Amino acid sequence: MTKGARLLVLAAAAAMFAAGPAMAQKQGGTLTVGLELDIPGFDPLKVGVYDTSANIAASLILETLVGLDENGKAKPKLALSWSSSDDFRTWTFKLRPDVKFHDGTPFNAEAVKWNFDRQKDPKNNCRCAFYIANLLSVDAPDDLTVIYHLKDPAVNFPVLLTRPDQNSSIHSPAAIQAKGDDYNRNPIGTGPFIVKSWTAGDRMVLERNPSYWNKGYPHLDRVVLRPLPDSQSRFASLKAGETDIVWADEFEADNIVRAQKDPTLQVLSYAGSGAAVNAINTKVPPLDDVRVRQALVMALDRKKISQALTNGLARPATNPYGDGSWVKCKDDGALPEDPAKAAALIKEYGKPVSFKMLFTATPRGRANGQVLQQLWKNVGANMEIEQVDQATFPPRAFQRKFDIIGWRIVDFPDPDVQMYANFHTGSPVALANYSNPELDKLLEHARVTPDEAKRTEDYCAISRIINQEAIWFWTFQNTYYAVAKAKVKGVPKLFGGVINVSDAWLE
Amino acid sequence: MARFVGRKLLHLLPVLLAVTLLTFLIASLLPGDLAYTILGDQATPEKVAALRAQMGLDLPIWQRYLHWLWDVLQGDFGRSFRTGETVLAAVADRLPVSIELMLMAEGLGLLIGIPLAILCAVRSGGAVDRFLTGLAFGKLSLPSFMVAILLIYLFAVTLGWLPATGWVPFTEDPIGNLRSFVLPALTLAFAEWPVLMRVLRSDMIATLQEDYIAMAKAKGLHPARILLVHALKPSSLTLVTVTGINIGRLIGGALIVETIFALPGIGRLLVGAIYARDFIILQGVVLFVAIGFVLVNFVVDMLYAVLDPRIRHGRA
Repeated sequence: MTKGARLLVLAAAAAMFAAGPAMAQKQGGTLTVGLELDIPGFDPLKVGVYDTSANIAASLILETLVGLDENGKAKPKLALSWSSSDDFRTWTFKLRPDVKFHDGTPFNAEAVKWNFDRQKDPKNNCRCAFYIANLLSVDAPDDLTVIYHLKDPAVNFPVLLTRPDQNSSIHSPAAIQAKGDDYNRNPIGTGPFIVKSWTAGDRMVLERNPSYWNKGYPHLDRVVLRPLPDSQSRFASLKAGETDIVWADEFEADNIVRAQKDPTLQVLSYAGSGAAVNAINTKVPPLDDVRVRQALVMALDRKKISQALTNGLARPATNPYGDGSWVKCKDDGALPEDPAKAAALIKEYGKPVSFKMLFTATPRGRANGQVLQQLWKNVGANMEIEQVDQATFPPRAFQRKFDIIGWRIVDFPDPDVQMYANFHTGSPVALANYSNPELDKLLEHARVTPDEAKRTEDYCAISRIINQEAIWFWTFQNTYYAVAKAKVKGVPKLFGGVINVSDAWLE
Repeated sequence: MARFVGRKLLHLLPVLLAVTLLTFLIASLLPGDLAYTILGDQATPEKVAALRAQMGLDLPIWQRYLHWLWDVLQGDFGRSFRTGETVLAAVADRLPVSIELMLMAEGLGLLIGIPLAILCAVRSGGAVDRFLTGLAFGKLSLPSFMVAILLIYLFAVTLGWLPATGWVPFTEDPIGNLRSFVLPALTLAFAEWPVLMRVLRSDMIATLQEDYIAMAKAKGLHPARILLVHALKPSSLTLVTVTGINIGRLIGGALIVETIFALPGIGRLLVGAIYARDFIILQGVVLFVAIGFVLVNFVVDMLYAVLDPRIRHGRA
């Protein structure tokens, strides 16, 4: 077994331990987490979306109705059980009784409804409303029953509530009403940790919640969250002992390899679903010709790109689901990597092939751009790198002001949400400007069929269409990393890239 | 004297107006509409137009600037749309960090640069002088982020003497606070001392050739006394100017050092606001940085009069 696989098994074993009763775990201690970015706040109306750093913090302070078990399937959290109507449009959740928010007010169905209504209210203009567009309304007939009414059916609805994000985390209505604008920096949830202090740009100190509903948890006394934006100094802080676990990604390949060789450190990695993807604007010549698009995809040499950018750590992707998804395709319709054939297609097209590609104005974006530019030059396609800063990316995407743009399908327990959003005709993020009734039918069918095998068939058929038409292409699967001191135990799989230390302990 | 001070402070106002207006104009030219950034994925043209009207973004630039100016004169610097904290709170939290870093960095730079400059000036042309000049040029070509990472790996990871990242408030732990600033200040000082040394060295070489220095030597005064009392003061005019400029620049925050060492300073606040199109924070921070810069230059002007009596009497 390779060192990396051995560490994965160790991490998995440690995680399994955490899921069991609180027996071998040690109580007490302070865990310091090195985040990538600073957190602007937790009020969905103010921040719109939680990034990974906010998710990591939210998983400690706030909670969702449903959690994920070791296999990525739904398990009870703030909700004990759930059921749905036959058409999968109405979902009823039974809530856990005797749960309180940190401010002492009760957690109940009314609180869940209040959170939802506030995010959905058009007067509030919340950016977060986009992600609950499919939820029409929420009813709270009694204290412990919540009913969700969906617009389109969702067979796997409970897992869609598991991510500690801006929509699924439940905040205390009393606290939001009392604090108004100040709530953003003073979140109140039901989670195992309470915010003790928060210095902007420096650190957030969380203390153990003594009245947490899950007796025996959490194990830690305190969690300190520190944003450390520079990857080298973040790793140095881990080695120097200032942090116990830090966020990392495959672009820090050197540090990850170094950590794998270090017996005092462990590398937690999770092969997630989804992939790093790129969308091609099929309405813009020369990209409106399928031969050109196919040529661009066939010209890619993913192993070489992985070697150049991540020292070989990045895993090539051939479909939007990846190894981490329950969708396993025998034939995903992936085009072969064949530069000779690509060059031939470009020649067959006849006219000169020239276009721009949008990248973020970072060294990573630049490196990515140069590698792709070179590979495409080899087959006769001329790509011009256009770098913009992160804030300009979403507007350019939504207004379709691009030829090719980078995007991401993040790790999620169910492919429906992102696949429907990215590929169904009429969706605001159907970036390829491509409409195919057969594709639409498959997407619609997949979301109403409860049978996982039939859904897999649908999604594989969807992948075949997208790959053959080459409207989007995938470069690498999502691999999420965390590097930690060997003594840190009880961190589950990094679902969605979130480092969840709520059940962790220190050996 | 009071009139002098009064006149100087009056100069402050047009500078502040010009700086803030310029920032406003440049920020409004940035691509990426703020309304799109806030609305994100649900940015339909109607919603964007409605939000722009609500935030006053559809008014002409000069009108928006005057609104902001009017609010500022009443003491309302505004709130960040992202975090909800007031501009004053955001600046007040971070300014002490940047000021302490700036003072320590410049102080260390002077501590290294002044003795070396005196040494070079006294033995100008000699082996020591040539070696130190070469070192200064060599150091100038090392980028600050490289120096920072090298220092971290040497002192924090390998030796474990100093913290790699982070900051402790002075009120909570004075020793810890100073320790957390040593490496960041050193990184900045390494970039400062070559210039300070070269500048002082040239001026001192010129001063040491003056007649009154020869007379002091003839009188039999101790060489140290000649150097430090009679030669150093009149040679420091350029040094003081350069130091003033450096301090002004560092007030705006040392972004790279702040990012690498995870210090919650003005630099990160400023750049973060630009990336997020948080114009209110941007305007507020620029205003305070401009005030700081002008005040520092004012102090420099005063120092000229203190250091060189010729200026003091010539101007009176």
